[in-house]
Amino acid sequence: MTGPDRQDARRAEPLEHEPGHRRLAGAVLTAGMAVALGAAMIGIPREHAALSAVARYAMTVALPRWGLTEPVNEIVYGTRGFDTFGETFLLLAAVVSVVLICRSREGRWGDIGESLAGQREQRQSDPAGDADAGERQARSAERREQGQPGPGDPAGPATPDAVPLGTPAPETADAMTVVVRTAIRIALPLLGAAGLYLVAWGYSPGGGFPAGAVLVGVLLLAYAGFGRRRVAAIVRPGLLEAIELAGATAIIVTELLGLVLRGSVSANWLPLAQPQTILSGGIAQLFSASELIEVGTGLAITIFALIGMGHDWTPDEQPGREGAERS
Amino acid sequence: MILVNYLAAAALLCIGLYAVLTRRNMIKMVMGLSLMEAATYLFMISLAYRSGSTAPVLLSPPPGKTAQDLVHGNVADPVLQNFCLTAVVIGVAVTAVFLSVVVRIAQHYRTLDSDRVRELRG
Repeated sequence: MTGPDRQDARRAEPLEHEPGHRRLAGAVLTAGMAVALGAAMIGIPREHAALSAVARYAMTVALPRWGLTEPVNEIVYGTRGFDTFGETFLLLAAVVSVVLICRSREGRWGDIGESLAGQREQRQSDPAGDADAGERQARSAERREQGQPGPGDPAGPATPDAVPLGTPAPETADAMTVVVRTAIRIALPLLGAAGLYLVAWGYSPGGGFPAGAVLVGVLLLAYAGFGRRRVAAIVRPGLLEAIELAGATAIIVTELLGLVLRGSVSANWLPLAQPQTILSGGIAQLFSASELIEVGTGLAITIFALIGMGHDWTPDEQPGREGAERS
Repeated sequence: MILVNYLAAAALLCIGLYAVLTRRNMIKMVMGLSLMEAATYLFMISLAYRSGSTAPVLLSPPPGKTAQDLVHGNVADPVLQNFCLTAVVIGVAVTAVFLSVVVRIAQHYRTLDSDRVRELRG
């Protein structure tokens, strides 16, 4: 494709027309919110205010009671450990929601008649007409992508490399170039080690939270660079979900043992090692490592569930077949 | 002058709110919600700032300060940093829930326009 042709193809792309809705009402409500927030923010404490009582408490107990030189970690897993406990299960609830929403449709076992009942409404809301050229092209591309090309569909390129540069999406390449793959091979172990270091030594604010995010980044980098097949051994819902629930169970056990052994949830029941060593935080380190599992697997499940949703479109309606049993 | 940060957070939240209220494209509505989320992060981190303070780390205090100075509060507020830290992870997960709902709606109705997602279908 020559330069001017490519420009024409780009120009021909239809621009999405998005009509404005309730702009005036939106502007009035937003202005009201801005005034309320502005008035509130003028009156709140600024940079010279004293630290809150809980912050002073955490600064005081971090080193003597937990052996942690990182008060943020002491707050996340100690003073406000119960809060983190709740947030962890909020994260788990979000992951379960994404998994449920993204789950592929299951085969129907019997006709309960709703498609027949919805026939009239279907005709009104979605009259079966001839698809225009753009629609036909999109459907053909979709069938090809799903590996079920129809008789009239044009054949796709033999290999991803045969796709000319500048071709509109969808991209068909499943791996990046050798330059990117080499860079990723070098970066992956470094990033993985950095993520594990963050959680192991407890010097970083949050420990397991940022470390889990870093490890998800490692997985995503491998996926982007080498394609799905290379990470498929790890990214299996059955495996990741089991590991995530093991992390959640470890958090529950860690917190409840505090109640059983020390009389309060989230109390430390492990012996403290010398500060700045791998075991210095007592249960804070255990909680942090469990959080790493929870965050890492939870975000991985969520992201890959979203990525995997691409091929689950409602089948096209065929004229004259509304209500008929679908294959 | 941390007030400027507070007001910037309020402005960011208002931009997000305006997007949620006036956009009909559901991806843009999710982007608006993400902006509102980002505004809370900026607000909490700004609220944690203390003039002339250092990071809340009880190790190798900067020149002129001792560990006792740190313990007695001459640091950024660690509680708000904790809130921000956990909020980021929860925010990612909640945005993923929004996006998965949007993708499902798009797959089912073949549109991202929330005005057209009214009829019962299928």
